[in-house]
Amino acid sequence: MCVDDELLNTYLDGELQEPWRTQVQEHLGYCNACRQRLEQLRALHQKVADAVLPDSEISVRQERVLQYFEKNRFSSSNKKMHIFRKKIQVRLVPALITSAAAFVVVFIGAFVLFGNNSQQGQEILPGVASQIDSAHIRQVTEVQQPSLDMFSLEQIVQHLDAMGYAVKLEVKAVTPLE
Amino acid sequence: MEIQSNDERAFRQVYEQVFPILMRVVYHVTNNQDLAEEICQEAFIRFFDKGMEFATLNDAKYWLIRVSKNLAINQVKRKAREMSMVDKLKKYPATGANHSDGSQVLMEKETRKLVQEAIDQLPEKFRLVIVMKEYTDMDYKQIAQVLHISESNVKVRVYRARKMLESILSQE
Repeated sequence: MCVDDELLNTYLDGELQEPWRTQVQEHLGYCNACRQRLEQLRALHQKVADAVLPDSEISVRQERVLQYFEKNRFSSSNKKMHIFRKKIQVRLVPALITSAAAFVVVFIGAFVLFGNNSQQGQEILPGVASQIDSAHIRQVTEVQQPSLDMFSLEQIVQHLDAMGYAVKLEVKAVTPLE
Repeated sequence: MEIQSNDERAFRQVYEQVFPILMRVVYHVTNNQDLAEEICQEAFIRFFDKGMEFATLNDAKYWLIRVSKNLAINQVKRKAREMSMVDKLKKYPATGANHSDGSQVLMEKETRKLVQEAIDQLPEKFRLVIVMKEYTDMDYKQIAQVLHISESNVKVRVYRARKMLESILSQE
């Protein structure tokens, strides 16, 4: 009696238990028809198995779905980021204040230490330092527009006389003596 | 080794190993890669969000296959309801279009397509079993565990599925 398809399929899948497995094997040893049928079934199995979705098609999707989880589910990566950010925020503010204070101290210190040192000043600004003296300084605020108050009566008379005017001076309410 | 599904490290380990298997099972059941990706993602979301404990990696794998298989079957049923005759007519002419091109790659692609279309025609209970048998490394016992059926039932379904596939493929 020949082996039926169900048994052959089970044999093909390596799922046939003893003692049937040995019996089928023995039968296949001498039965050409069953051997051929087994080969047909093997070919069919191979054809179906070869139609498998290839790895290359899967890997892209596997990566994409994983990215979804990294974005939306895995808290550790998010938490890590938060902690990192907090650290930056916490550390950055005092660091900025400290560096600003240090800058001010250094700036003031520099003035205290080197500000009064004229020699140093001359070294830094050699041309300018020698030119600064009283001759070059004019106090602009004291220069006023000339007015009549600035001149004496004599000067005014002299000036008018020089310009060709005949000036006769009289004092009010005083009559000259006869 | 116990697996806590919402533990990132454990999840990554399961994901790494099970995603390709899940993707294959769902794709060959639905015949749609984009849909398969969505279903796999949904299955893993449930896996993560439920925060379950599994005794072994295989237990986690079986749970995931079971969930995604159910999602896939539901989708296939919904699709079948939604798909109008017009869509079917639109779809079929494209199937056999490039027969004249005889390159090896195209032949392989065509064969793959024919096989997948043959699988598509199988009734659900045979389709599930043959897909798991041919596209995962699971044996009869493991398939029986996933589907909550007996091992001998798996054996019979594999045999019948192959018989149907042989008949469909010989017609083409």
